[in-house]
Amino acid sequence: MNLAKLFRLPFHGGIKLESIRSKFILSFSLLSIIPMILLALFSYQAYLGILERNVQAYSSEVIDRIDRSLEIYLSDLERILDQRGDYYNVQFIKLSLAGDIEGNRKFTFRLWENLNSIKRLKTDLRDISIITLDGVAVGCYGVSHIDLSRNELFQTLVNRTSGEGKMAIWGPHPDWLGGSVFSVGKAIRGDYDNFLGIMSIDVDVELLERICRNVRLGKTGYVMLVDDNGQIIYHPKAEFVGKSLGFLMGQPLFNVWKEDFITKFGPGNQVITAKTLTAANWKIIGLANKLELAAEMQKVARISLALIFGTFAALTLAAVFLASLLTKPLKELQQSMRRASEDLNTNIAIKTNDEIGRLGQSFNQMLARIRELMEQSVQEQKKLRRTEMKALQEQIKPHFIYNTLDLIIGLLETNKNEDVIKMVEALGAFFRISLSHGQEFITIREEIEHVKNYLYIQRFRHGDKYDYTFEVDETILEKKTLKLVLQPLVENAIYHGVRELENSSGLITVKAFPDRDGICFEVIDNGLGIAPEKVDDINRCLGRANAGESEKLYFGLQNVNERIMLAFGKEYGLTVESILGRGTKVIVYLPFIA
Amino acid sequence: MNRRTFNLTILGLLFLGFLNPFSNKAINSITAFAASKSFKSIPNLSPSRTRPIVIAIVPKSLDNPVFVDAKETAELAAGKQNIILEWVAPFKVDPDAQVKVIEGLIRRKVDGIAISCSDPEKIRSVIAKAAAAGIKVATIDADCPNSKRIFYCGTDNYKAGRACGEAMVRIITQKGLQNKELRTAILTGGIKAHNLNERIRGFKEAVAGRISLKYEALLACDDDTSTGAKVVESYIKKHPETDVFYFTGGWAFFGPPESMPLYQEWCNNGGIAVSMDTFYPVLQAAKKGFAKALVGQDFKKMGEFTVNYLVCAIKGLPIPGEYIDTGLELADQSNFDRLLSEKKPWEMK
Repeated sequence: MNLAKLFRLPFHGGIKLESIRSKFILSFSLLSIIPMILLALFSYQAYLGILERNVQAYSSEVIDRIDRSLEIYLSDLERILDQRGDYYNVQFIKLSLAGDIEGNRKFTFRLWENLNSIKRLKTDLRDISIITLDGVAVGCYGVSHIDLSRNELFQTLVNRTSGEGKMAIWGPHPDWLGGSVFSVGKAIRGDYDNFLGIMSIDVDVELLERICRNVRLGKTGYVMLVDDNGQIIYHPKAEFVGKSLGFLMGQPLFNVWKEDFITKFGPGNQVITAKTLTAANWKIIGLANKLELAAEMQKVARISLALIFGTFAALTLAAVFLASLLTKPLKELQQSMRRASEDLNTNIAIKTNDEIGRLGQSFNQMLARIRELMEQSVQEQKKLRRTEMKALQEQIKPHFIYNTLDLIIGLLETNKNEDVIKMVEALGAFFRISLSHGQEFITIREEIEHVKNYLYIQRFRHGDKYDYTFEVDETILEKKTLKLVLQPLVENAIYHGVRELENSSGLITVKAFPDRDGICFEVIDNGLGIAPEKVDDINRCLGRANAGESEKLYFGLQNVNERIMLAFGKEYGLTVESILGRGTKVIVYLPFIA
Repeated sequence: MNRRTFNLTILGLLFLGFLNPFSNKAINSITAFAASKSFKSIPNLSPSRTRPIVIAIVPKSLDNPVFVDAKETAELAAGKQNIILEWVAPFKVDPDAQVKVIEGLIRRKVDGIAISCSDPEKIRSVIAKAAAAGIKVATIDADCPNSKRIFYCGTDNYKAGRACGEAMVRIITQKGLQNKELRTAILTGGIKAHNLNERIRGFKEAVAGRISLKYEALLACDDDTSTGAKVVESYIKKHPETDVFYFTGGWAFFGPPESMPLYQEWCNNGGIAVSMDTFYPVLQAAKKGFAKALVGQDFKKMGEFTVNYLVCAIKGLPIPGEYIDTGLELADQSNFDRLLSEKKPWEMK
């Protein structure tokens, strides 16, 4: 279906897209909306891909950031633990193991101060303690005794060799004050590298929450921490802490997550990214929900659609406005033309200098030309009527009527009734055809009949001094011609040609035949002829639209010629040919009239 | 027989008759003695118990050195009784933190707890909680009256206050100022500490009607030694017209005397001060004129008695009663040197 056809389709409600304004609005809107939709589709796909990559990159970055935070924090703790070999710590352990209570009071008090000073440096530290081999622990809350068999940190460190200086970590567990902590520690060794005890730091697991809780991977995405045994040590939902990761997510995926920085799509459309916290051998696992990603995209799509519709509406409004702007001059032009169709004297007011303004100017010029032509036509019609009137006046010249009537009286007096009848019939027919009920055009048959009647009357009057003959192609008899064309020419042929010839040898021949695309009449006489100079003068006068003075000289010829030219144009009219002493031929050329 | 005589009798039995205190023989003797005096009897410990007894002493704070002597004797006593002693508290005075520490001990199911109460109102409920959990609870140094504690071991603070008051009356009278209204300031530890308030009450009642003291300020240092010195210096600077200072504890004198130049000048200008505590640094300061008289507590006895009687309570043995008085020590210029020679410097820094 092409656009033009589409434009012709009726709109809902019967509105047809036939106005330039509607076509403009529809074209403008379509041209605007189609690229926009294509762009939106392309953008959506491109954005989806970019977003997926960004989510993966963001997850990795987030996990990396948590890793760095924890690494930094743990390295700070390690620096604190590096103070474990300080004089007061070692002395306390030695005196404690030796049971020197009095000697140890100074070190005990000093350790309380030192350990509490360190504790105040970091708000997440719940306790820092020195634990001796016999289970005596001096810490921020005094001196207590602990069950070493249940202290994983101690058990880890006591079973290490002296070369293993790495910090040991004990995952989340309750401390004796009722809080949940994870502990880090290092062994304290004596002068002979003998194991004396450990220095332990209890860190509130709130730290893990503080580092991880504000990390957002989408609306419901989160980060969790898993120890090297696969136990969850931090999860936004406390009930999952202590549970197995395999229990939570399935063992196969857990095995895959042992690699660093891999991204997998797990159950529930989760995008999973994992990294190992080297210092603690914990896993930092980020889970983002892919459906949320889609939801984000739906949001983008909704925004895009809203933008498209919004832009479409704006563009449509703009199109309506522009269309109105552009078509308003056209409408004004249309209205002006409608007024001009009713009143040609109307002129269009030109407001712009653009194409429409120039169209208005041309239209005004056209109107002016029409008015001019109409005026010209009116003038020509008036002139035609005037010449016709003169031609008619020529038909009913008193002299002709008087002589003819006088002839009829003479015939009556001589009782030539038959001739009288013919004469009266000829005269009546002559005048009847002359008037023709006011018609301007008559058939060639009538025109020939009219000339025959005239010649009959004149020849009778002139005593048969000449003869006449007609050569008429019968196929054109029913064709129309301007009336009273031949009679003035025949009259000239009589009075200026054959009437003065001796021995009644004059002959007038009237021919009518089709010629080229018109009709040709020829009036030929074998009379006196016309001098060549005069012939030229006559033809020159006949060639001019307005004969002026020559009209009076060659009235009959001029009258016929002028009426023909007024009726049919300058390419039609009379031509005179003559040879002095031999005769004259007047040629009339007319168009076919239906 | 009053409680003090009873305590001395018990200790005499332990040290004179039995080399191994709290051996079966000693305990049996104490039990028989206590029964004959109808002293308080405590339900017996479960016979199936195999793990060592764990007793925790909870002072007001760790940073207050006044408890050092008590800790030392408590540990020695615990060693002798073959029990485990823990000494746990917030580092600085903080009643809420002290409650948390006690709750932690309840969770750990220790056998006995002795508490020096920062704020009796806050501690009372947690004592009840511990008692409900089957833990024997005592108070030491600072009591928590009307609580579920089994006994209080420490100074009779009212008496200590009265002793301070008597000393003050004596000094004022000697100076012939008994008829003059004397502007008086008091420095205490915690405003809500029952033991300190008792000392203030005893002091005021002792001086009432005998000398004329106008109490213009009650200053608190939350048992913090450096805060104590600062508060006193600041007050003297603003109110040099003060005539009398009463210290319910010796916190202000635990630091070097040079850190209190204004106070020293005030003393030199005739200011009269009486203070509780006869610790080594307090005696040193008093000798330099920072206090005319001192009334000391016996923290060594506090530590020792508390452990021993808590063990008794845990084992179901009788204890002397709800109040175990550890006695007072009076000091003035006449015996400063002797006491200094008998006591050990703290040397904890």
